[in-house]
Amino acid sequence: MERNTMSYKTKQFLMFAGPALILFSMVIIIPFVYGLYLTFTSWDGVSVSKPFVGFANYISAFKDYYYWAAIGRTLIYSAFAVILINVVAFLLAYLVTSGVKGQNFFRAGFFIPNLIGGIVLGYVWKFVFNRAFVALGEAIAAGTVPSLLSTPSGALFCLVLVSVWQYAGYMMLIYVAGFMGVSDSLKEAAMIDGCTPSQAMWNVTIPLMRTSFVTCIFLSITRCFVVYDVNLSLTKGEPFNSSVLAAMHVYNKAFVYKDYGTGQAEALILFVICAVIGITQVYVGKKGEVQA
Amino acid sequence: MANLSLKGIQKIYPNGYHAVTDFNLEVEDKEFIIFVGPSGCGKSTTLRMIAGLEDISEGEFRIDGKLMNDVEPKDRDIAMVFQSYALYPHMTVYDNMAFALKLRKLPKDEIDRKVREAARILDLEKLLDRKPKALSGGQRQRVAMGRAIVRNPKVFLMDEPLSNLDAKLRVQMRIEISKIHERLGATIIYVTHDQTEAMTLGTRIVVMKQGVVQQIDTPDNLYSRPCNLFVAGFIGSPQMNFMDAKVSVDGENVTLAVGEHVLHVPEDKKQALIDGGYDGKTVVLGIRPEDISDDEEFIKANPDCVIRSKIKVYEMLGAEAYLYFDVEGTQVTARVNSNTQLRQGSDAVFALDMSKIHLFDKETEKNILF
Repeated sequence: MERNTMSYKTKQFLMFAGPALILFSMVIIIPFVYGLYLTFTSWDGVSVSKPFVGFANYISAFKDYYYWAAIGRTLIYSAFAVILINVVAFLLAYLVTSGVKGQNFFRAGFFIPNLIGGIVLGYVWKFVFNRAFVALGEAIAAGTVPSLLSTPSGALFCLVLVSVWQYAGYMMLIYVAGFMGVSDSLKEAAMIDGCTPSQAMWNVTIPLMRTSFVTCIFLSITRCFVVYDVNLSLTKGEPFNSSVLAAMHVYNKAFVYKDYGTGQAEALILFVICAVIGITQVYVGKKGEVQA
Repeated sequence: MANLSLKGIQKIYPNGYHAVTDFNLEVEDKEFIIFVGPSGCGKSTTLRMIAGLEDISEGEFRIDGKLMNDVEPKDRDIAMVFQSYALYPHMTVYDNMAFALKLRKLPKDEIDRKVREAARILDLEKLLDRKPKALSGGQRQRVAMGRAIVRNPKVFLMDEPLSNLDAKLRVQMRIEISKIHERLGATIIYVTHDQTEAMTLGTRIVVMKQGVVQQIDTPDNLYSRPCNLFVAGFIGSPQMNFMDAKVSVDGENVTLAVGEHVLHVPEDKKQALIDGGYDGKTVVLGIRPEDISDDEEFIKANPDCVIRSKIKVYEMLGAEAYLYFDVEGTQVTARVNSNTQLRQGSDAVFALDMSKIHLFDKETEKNILF
């Protein structure tokens, strides 16, 4: 069979990449393009007609105070969550690669929260914050203690805490791979060169784990920016809509207030913000990356 | 530079495995010591204990009289060249070499001077801005050497530094290392399993087997006076030939019977056999391939040490030829002049240079003659 013909190459391509391409198109590309189309309509999400409104939905989105307040809140939440997730994940990875007894057990244990769905996780932690911590606080303080979820800043703090608990174990695995990728002889060379353990970590191990950092930060940024399930089950946006994050606002706009076009436009803007931050971070992070 | 003292060094792992047993060595200033032995003999473990990368289970290790057992690697004033070179991939050649000096907070101009001086010695001046990834194996090896040189340490430790290089480059770098040793007057401890490196570089060689030192001696002595069967077989390529030989003492006359072949033991070797009570016993006769001659005149001059066989394999190596043949079921190798007329299938007569033979006790495997 002639291997250099176009038809052979097309067949080869379709055979290997076809199934994945079809699936990817069906669940990502087509909905995305269709969503883009809907941003130019005033569809209510129910009716058959989809009147074309041009850029009205975008103008409406840019004027939506609550949307930008949710974006601002998401930025604050993401900043704290991304930093804490990565710091905790890095420290956990360091712990479970340092030769501590039962490290495989700990690796599995720290990863388990990631296996629990966000909705379930939110309800579990809601119980912990509203009942367990309150009961504990009251037992210690011998008086009435409010739930952390009852104040705006407390609710946001709880969201950050639960996200760290949920994602740190997953990111830990990536950092574990990073730690294991740094050759022992490099660490030994650093020790002989005169490094203290912390100097060896700072000058040798961390620079060589750049790939892990780039990956983990990218994943945590993208996950935090579009978090919805934990937001719904843990705070439901309460108190006084003070913990409504961007994804929840977009969902409410489209499906609760039946303003699908604006909701879709706001989702697209969120996507662009998320993509710009994520891509910039990856671009900057990848610069100077080296093979360990 | 420095004197090293290792007394009763042992390495016992938590599972009870003895990696190194009772290692004793005194290293004088400017010596080039080679640890050599087969894989798993404990040579690298010993080096790592000297470096401080492995704990010493028992014994005392001193540098210039100062006990070093519990001293951190960074405080031992040693430099190490790793088998994998262990260059920091995110740093340039310059930074790799300057790293240890920066950690010691030396002034910038002094760091620069030292790095450039080392780069000049190793011909790395044009590569200072490159990262290790952009270097060839030989260049990386030189950078690893440079990183050790700039520190001007008391002791250089090298763990099979040439094993990742191709044969040609290995010879070049071997010469370079030898020159550096001369130039710096450094005390070097070098681990290798390559006996050519060991023989050419070392002022003294430590031969190890299963964690136990077999012999510590100069290359010349190791070759000509191996203390046991293992050392005799390990040092030398092609390796020494070994044949079982029955000793017969008849008054002043001592002979060795290798099957049908009767070989007369020379005067200077007789007494050890007589004194050792080997009459009637079987010993191991060792003879190096170059001490087996097919030269007619030599055979005529030594009629009482002749063996006969049929050549099984003939290997021409240019300046010399290897002849493989069997003597009483044991394969024997002779290293002869390349103009030999013997070929595969030829009936051959050889004479052994009995002044160069080695005799080993069959049970203890120790050299009877030394």
